[in-house]
Amino acid sequence: MSEPMLTIKNLTKTYQDSPEQPKILADLNLTVDREEFLCILGPSGCGKTTLLRCIAGFENFEGEILVNGVSRKEPGSDRIMVFQTFEQLFPWKTVEGNITWPLKKTGMTDKTERHRCAMEALAKVKLADYAHYYPHQLSGGMKQRVAIARALALKSEIILMDEPFAALDALTRRELQNELLTLSAAEHRTILFVTHNIQEAVILGTRNIVLQKGGKIIFDEKNTLPKPSTPSSPGFAEVWQRMRDAIYANENAE
Amino acid sequence: MKTSEKASGKTAEHLARIIFLLAVLGIWEYVARARLLGPRSELIFPSLEAIGRAFLRNFSKGYAGNSLWIYIGNSMKLLLTGLLIGNGLAFLLSGIAAVNHTFYSIYNLVISVCDLLPGVALLPVVIVIFGVKSGVIVFLVIHAVLWPMSRSILDGFMAVPMIYVEAGKNIGLRGVGLLFGIYLPASIAYIVSGLKVGWARAWRGLISAEMIFGIASCPGIGLFINQMRTNMNNAEMYATLVVIIIIGVIVQYGILTPIEKNTVKKWGMAR
Repeated sequence: MSEPMLTIKNLTKTYQDSPEQPKILADLNLTVDREEFLCILGPSGCGKTTLLRCIAGFENFEGEILVNGVSRKEPGSDRIMVFQTFEQLFPWKTVEGNITWPLKKTGMTDKTERHRCAMEALAKVKLADYAHYYPHQLSGGMKQRVAIARALALKSEIILMDEPFAALDALTRRELQNELLTLSAAEHRTILFVTHNIQEAVILGTRNIVLQKGGKIIFDEKNTLPKPSTPSSPGFAEVWQRMRDAIYANENAE
Repeated sequence: MKTSEKASGKTAEHLARIIFLLAVLGIWEYVARARLLGPRSELIFPSLEAIGRAFLRNFSKGYAGNSLWIYIGNSMKLLLTGLLIGNGLAFLLSGIAAVNHTFYSIYNLVISVCDLLPGVALLPVVIVIFGVKSGVIVFLVIHAVLWPMSRSILDGFMAVPMIYVEAGKNIGLRGVGLLFGIYLPASIAYIVSGLKVGWARAWRGLISAEMIFGIASCPGIGLFINQMRTNMNNAEMYATLVVIIIIGVIVQYGILTPIEKNTVKKWGMAR
């Protein structure tokens, strides 16, 4: 049995400036296997985003986060973050530059190789024709695609996605979900995907968890529905209902 | 339809400006020709023709055997030296302030104090210390640029959206890498506005310093205009003012606007 991709041990997170504040995450334990597509759901303020930010290394925390068995406390390109906001691309770089520059900074010295990698990643998200555009010339959906292409090109083993499609319109959102599904099947990455949308989680995730306030995991289930699945696939409604019950049970308990 | 409306609006705007300018020149010429101000009229309002001739004479004959070109060259030499050193220092010190908190708080105080000191007010002190040398003017130009530029850079760093910093950290950037890779390009709008303010102050500081004490070894435009006044060459005086305006326009539209166009505007960071 190989080592899990990501192991989180006793993760506790409080904001230091207010010791009276309840813990955002209390003693959270989680193991994520290689190539798993883990969807994280839960009500607002349950600590989903904080969990992702701790893994990314953007926050101080107590406990331990291991990637491939090695403790990680600082940000690094092995865990690349795709944010919710469209403004995550560097506006002073072209679409291509937004990918080649991070490649250069993470140690790819050969310029033609960087260009090749960037174009390959852009082709995967269907934006090869937009390589020379600047981010402000793109739509929101295109910007998110570039951010995904950046994560793909960087060969990050873990991709952290914090509601990347939440600010998109329904049509674009569906389109990007489908693309991400195809990509995740082909790319062999481990993806942690935070979302508010149960349907999105059932379509995308190979495993879904629901967090309660304080970061307690109250639902943890492998999603065995054959992919691609749609709301009319057999079994879809049952999975959806179970997750919804978990989220609502949690809300009623308060 | 919309764009053509916009275009015709622009043309009308330009037309209005040209008419305004012609009207001002027309009034000037009328006052000059009609000698409305009595016997001193010729001194205060030389005719446009006289100013035009004086303009040419400034460059062909100049003053004391030197054409105005030489004065302009001297001024530009001092100005450029000061701008280079001033901006360089601003980047260096602000960069240190960005990574060191103690230095930041001290530097912030220094900027706040020094920014309030008009360069010309420092002139006597500087002369006492350094003597009457062209270096004094360079010093004043540096003083004019350094503080507003530093303030702009530091404000710019403070305003860099957290998301760019995190995206930078995510690809492994730290310290100086983060400074050059993220903070500098992300605060370009502030840096450009600092350049504008710095240039305007330096240009004014330079001309005033040259007027107050012209250095014979390195005579500049300010000295030239003052000499025109003492010699009652009033048309030449006005003509030199026009030269000063022209240089300002060249810097604005030949240097600063292109910089803005190729950075802030191109990257969609300002309209």
